[in-house]
Amino acid sequence: MGQYVFKLPDLGEGTVEAEIGEWHVKVGDQVNEDDVIVDMMTDKAAVEIPSPVTGRIASLHGQQGDIVAVGMNLIVFDVDGESANTATSEATPDAPQAAPTAPEPAAKTVAQTVAPEVVANANNTSTNARVLTSPAVRARAKKQGIDLSVVPGSGARGRILARDLEQFIAGGGKPASSTVAVTNLETDEIEEHKVIGVRRVIARKMSEAKRNIPHFTYVDEVDITEFNALREHLNATRSADKPKLTFLPLLIAALAKTMKAFPQCNATYDAEREVVLRHKALHVGIATQTKDGLKVPVIHQAQARSIWALADDIKRLSEAARNGKAKKQELTGSSITITSLGALGGIVTTPVINSPEVGIIGINKAVDRPVVKDGNIVVRTMMNVSVSFDHRFVDGYDAAAMVQYLKGLLEYPATIFVPE
Amino acid sequence: MAKMNMIQALNSAMDIAMDRDPSVVVMGEDVGYFGGVFRCTDGLQRKYGEHRCIDTPIAEGGIIGTAIGMGVNGLRPVAEIQFADYIYPGFDQVVSELARLRYRSAGDFYAPVTIRTPCGGGIRGGQTHSQSPEGIFAHVSGIQVVMPSNPYDAKGLLLASIESDDPVVFFEPKRIYNGPFDGDPDKPAVGWSSHPQGEVPEGYYTVPLGQANVVREGNDVTIVTYGTMVHVAEAAARAADVDAEIIDVRSLQPLDLETLTTSVNKTGRCVIAHEATRFSGYGAELSASIQEHCFYALEAPIQRVTGWDTPYPHAFEWDYFPGQKRIIAALEAALED
Amino acid sequence: MASKQSRLHVPSAPARPGDEPDFSYLKLMPAGRLGRPDSHVKVNETHELASGLVRVLDDNHEAQGQWDPHLDAKELQVALRHMVMTRIFDDRMQRVQRQGKISFYVKSTGEEAVSVAQAMALQPGDMLFPSYRNQGLFIVRGSNLTDLMSQCLSNTRDMCKGRQLPVMYHSAEDKLFSISGNLTTQYPQAVGWAMASAIKGEQHIAAAWIGDGSTAEADFHHALTFAAVYQAPVLLNVVNNQYAISTFQAFAGGEQQTFAARGPGNGIAGVRVDGNDFLAVYAVTQWAAERARAGAGATLIEHVTYRGSAHSTSDDPTRYRPKEEWAAFPLGDPIERLKQHLIANGDWSDARHDALVEELTEHVTACWREATSYGTLNEGPHLDASLMFEDIFEKMPANLRAQREQWRREKSGD
Repeated sequence: MGQYVFKLPDLGEGTVEAEIGEWHVKVGDQVNEDDVIVDMMTDKAAVEIPSPVTGRIASLHGQQGDIVAVGMNLIVFDVDGESANTATSEATPDAPQAAPTAPEPAAKTVAQTVAPEVVANANNTSTNARVLTSPAVRARAKKQGIDLSVVPGSGARGRILARDLEQFIAGGGKPASSTVAVTNLETDEIEEHKVIGVRRVIARKMSEAKRNIPHFTYVDEVDITEFNALREHLNATRSADKPKLTFLPLLIAALAKTMKAFPQCNATYDAEREVVLRHKALHVGIATQTKDGLKVPVIHQAQARSIWALADDIKRLSEAARNGKAKKQELTGSSITITSLGALGGIVTTPVINSPEVGIIGINKAVDRPVVKDGNIVVRTMMNVSVSFDHRFVDGYDAAAMVQYLKGLLEYPATIFVPE
Repeated sequence: MAKMNMIQALNSAMDIAMDRDPSVVVMGEDVGYFGGVFRCTDGLQRKYGEHRCIDTPIAEGGIIGTAIGMGVNGLRPVAEIQFADYIYPGFDQVVSELARLRYRSAGDFYAPVTIRTPCGGGIRGGQTHSQSPEGIFAHVSGIQVVMPSNPYDAKGLLLASIESDDPVVFFEPKRIYNGPFDGDPDKPAVGWSSHPQGEVPEGYYTVPLGQANVVREGNDVTIVTYGTMVHVAEAAARAADVDAEIIDVRSLQPLDLETLTTSVNKTGRCVIAHEATRFSGYGAELSASIQEHCFYALEAPIQRVTGWDTPYPHAFEWDYFPGQKRIIAALEAALED
Repeated sequence: MASKQSRLHVPSAPARPGDEPDFSYLKLMPAGRLGRPDSHVKVNETHELASGLVRVLDDNHEAQGQWDPHLDAKELQVALRHMVMTRIFDDRMQRVQRQGKISFYVKSTGEEAVSVAQAMALQPGDMLFPSYRNQGLFIVRGSNLTDLMSQCLSNTRDMCKGRQLPVMYHSAEDKLFSISGNLTTQYPQAVGWAMASAIKGEQHIAAAWIGDGSTAEADFHHALTFAAVYQAPVLLNVVNNQYAISTFQAFAGGEQQTFAARGPGNGIAGVRVDGNDFLAVYAVTQWAAERARAGAGATLIEHVTYRGSAHSTSDDPTRYRPKEEWAAFPLGDPIERLKQHLIANGDWSDARHDALVEELTEHVTACWREATSYGTLNEGPHLDASLMFEDIFEKMPANLRAQREQWRREKSGD
C-alpha cells in the first residue's frame, strides 16, 4: 500500500491555476483509473479530470470555488503496489510557497511566480462578503454606525475610499442602526452573489479588455435581402442529412473571405512580447450565452469548412458550451469573435473585444424596413453590423474598409463564393 | 555654540566624558595615537594618555570581551569597532555576555560599555564597509541601540550612552560624518556648517535615549526613519511636495513608540525608511508596532523603504541605496485614496 | 622513510570502553624536578615550565623541591576540608538531580585541588572568573552551600532569580563572576578586568578558568593576545581534565604541544602543573599571582587533571571511555594525595578523616534541607515569575512594561 499524490496538471496553454468546479468523489471512495473525479474551471471551461490511478481517495485538497495553482497537490490516493509517488509529495508539501513540480522549467517558473497571488485570491474568495476598505474608513464607519456593505466603493476592486464614505454620508447615507436604513435594507433584499467561476473569469477578462484596449467601434447597415433569400433557398433545397442554416455559417464564410483581404483584423496581440500575430487561418469565436454567463466556443480553421460543416460546428459547440462540457481546446485559440444579440433586438452594440484578439464583429437584429433604392422606397431586410477594433493595431480607415468589404459580400452573396 | 561636523561632535562628547569621569576609557583599533580612521578619537590619547585612550589589537571579540571585564571592574569603556561590518567576531560577547550580564546575575554585575561603530553605505565601501546591522542588535534583549542623524544629536546621544549603566551599541552613519546627504550622489557634497544641527554646544549636554525627534511637522503622512535616511526623507518629501511629518527615531531601543504612534494617528499614513535590508529588519518591528497601535487610523498600508535584501554591492551602490525615488514611490503608495 | 603524501591526521582517544586505560601519552615528571625561577622571569624563559610538569608531592606523599609552598598543617587541613566538602556537595547534588529535584548538575570530582588551591593562594580582592566546574572557588570563598543549592533549585533564595541553569553561580560580594553557559567568554573579560585594575593602579588581579576543549575557542586567543599585549595582571587557567564531554583533549590541540606552551607561544608565561597536587597548584598560583601583582604580566597555567565523573548529569562517559580510567590515572585522586601527605606528616589520620566526612555529610544534608525549604523547581514557594522582566535594563523600558502587563493578564486569566 502506498500513496499517489495527484497534483493539478497544466490543463493547456500554460494554465497556471484552475478553480475547483465540482468534486465527483469524496474521501474514502474507490475509483478506477480514468473515472471522472473532479471538474476544474480554467479560463472559460469546465474541464473534467479523470483519475490518474486506480485506488481509494485518501484526501482532497480544496473545496468548490477554491483556486488551485498548477503543481499543487489536488488529490491523494491510497494505491496498491510500489508505484506510489509519496516521495515527491513529501518533497513538495501542500503549500503554495513550495515549488510546484512541473514537467517543463518554463511552466514551473510561471507557477511559482503566481502562487502567492493564488493564495491571495483564495483568501478573497473565502471572505468575499467583507468589504474592501482601509482600517481608518472602517473605524469611521463603525463610529458613525454605518454598514459599509451598502456603501458603494469607487476604488480598485470596489474598495471604499475615504471620499466614498464621505459622499455616502453627505448623500444622506444613514447609519445601519437607524430605522430608515434597516427598512431600506429589508425592502431592498440585497442578495449576495459571489463572483466566482466563469463569472470571475468573465469579469476579469472584460475589465482587462476595457482597461487595456482602446476600442474603436464602427457601425453600418447591410441589406441582407439577397443574403436571406440565398439562405432560405439553401435550407429549402438541402438534403435530409444537412442541418438547417442560420445566418452564422454564411456570415462566417463571408468573414473568411474578408479576413484574407484584411489580415490585420484577424489577429491576436501578445502584449508581453509586444507582437501582433496575424493568423492565416480563421479561428472564429462564437459568443454564446450560457447559464453561467458568456462563453466563447471556437471554430478552428473556419476558412476550410463548408457552410454545412460550420452549421454543424456551431450547433455542437454552442450546446457543449451551454452544458459546460466544452473541451479546453474548443474554448481557446480564436482569432476573431462574432457576437450576436440580434434575437433580442437592438440596433447598435459596442462589443468588447475578446482579448487577445484585435477585433470583434457584432450582429444586430435583421428587420424589414423601407429603404430608398434606385429612387424608390422599397422594403428590404436590413441588418446593422457593429464592429469594434483595437485601435492600437487596426486603423479606423482599415476597419471601415473591412466593414464595407464584408457589406459588399453580404449584399451580393454570390461573391462570397467567387474566388478573388 | 560651535560649528561641528559629526566627527567633531563625537570627539567632543568623548572628550567631555573623559574629562568629567576618570572611569571613562576609549579603546579600539587605531583610536589612540592615530586618532581613529575616521578621526573621531583624534587628540584623546594626547590629552588623556595611553591608559585611557587605548590602541587595541585587531580582534573585535577581544575588544568587546575586555571592555566587558573593564566595565565590571568599574570603568566605563567606549569601545570603537572600526566598521559595523567588523562587529561580528564580537557578536557573542555582545549578545551572550554584555546584553545579559545584568539579567543572569540578577543585577549583581553589569558592564556600562558603549560600542561605537560606523555604519551604512554611500562611501563606496562595498559589501564589507557599508552594512547597517542595527536591526540585528535591536533584536537582542538587553542592548540599547542608537543611531544619530546629525552632529547635535550625535554628541548628546553619545554622552547619554556613555553615562548609561546599560550597554549601548552606538551606530554612526558614516556617510553623514562630514555633512548631511540627501541621497543624490551626483550633487556636490555639503558640509554640516550650514545645517542648523551642525550648531553644537561646546560644553556638556545630553540627548536622552528613548526619545524620538520630530524633524519636520506635517499632516498627510508620517515618515519614520533614522540615520542618513532622515535627510533623504526630507529631500524626498520636498521633491514630491508632500506634507510629510518626519520622525527621526534616534534611539531604536528603547523606542519612543508614543511619538511615532501619535504622529501616525494624526496622519493616518506611514512610510518607514532605513538603509538596511528589508527582510526581518528594524522596519518590520516599526511597521508591526505602528500597525498594532494605529490600525484604525490607517488609510493605507504602511510602506517600507529599505535597501534590497542583498549584500551592499560595490559597483551598484546607488542602485542599492534607498534614495529619494524609492521614498517618493512609497509616499505615493501611502497617499493613495 | 618520510612519506611524500599529504595526509589528514585524526586524533584518537587513548582508550575506549572495554580497552585497558592507557595514559602513556601523558608527559610526566618526578616531583621536585623543575626549578622555581624568579616570578619576574622573562616569558621566553618559561618554555621548560610550560612543557614540563610542576609537581611537589612525590609517590611517598612527601613534598619535594623548590616549588614546595611550605604551608603549615592548619592550612593543609583547611584545604582538605574544602576539597572534601566540594566532593560531598557534588555527590549530594548529583543525587538530587537523579531524584528530579533539580534539572541539571555538573560535578568537579577529581579536580577539587585546582579550585581549592587556587582560591586559597589568591587574595580575597582578586576577581575570579570561573567556569561551570569550579565550585571549589565558591566553597573556599565562603559561599553558603544553601545559597549554591538554592541557585540549583531556582527557588526563592536563588541568587540568579530563576534565570540561570544550575551551577551558574555568582557572588559579587565574594568577587566571583557570573558563570556563563557559553564557553571561554570569561577569558577576555578577565583580561579586561585585570587591565582595568592596572589602569586604576590597583593591586587586585584576575583569574579565569576554562577547560582543555575551550582553548579552541576564539576568545581563548583574544584573551591571550590582549593579556600578552598589555601584560595584564591575570592568571589564565586551562583545566586539562582530558575531555570536553566525549572529545579527547587532542582535538583541542593538546597532542602536539602542551596547552601551557601556548602561553610563551603567545607572549605570556606558561606553566604546566600537576592539577591533582594541591601543593603544586598552590605554589604555581602563588608564583603567577606574584608575577602579575608585580607588573610582570599574565601567566597561562595548564592543570593536568582528570574529570573523574561525567561531564554533566546529561552525560554517560561509559559510552566513550573505559570505566577504569580514573582509577588508573597516574596523578591519582587529589583528596587522597593531600590526605596521605597530611598523614605522612603526622597531621592527620583515617579516623579524623572519617569524622570529617561524617561532619560535612551532615552539614551538606542540613544545607539541602534548608535550601529546599525555600522551594524547589517543582514545589513552592516559587519565585514571582514577573522577575523575568526585570534586570534586562536598569530601568524597565515601555515594551517590557507592556509585556509584563500582558503576562499578568495571561496569569490572572483576564
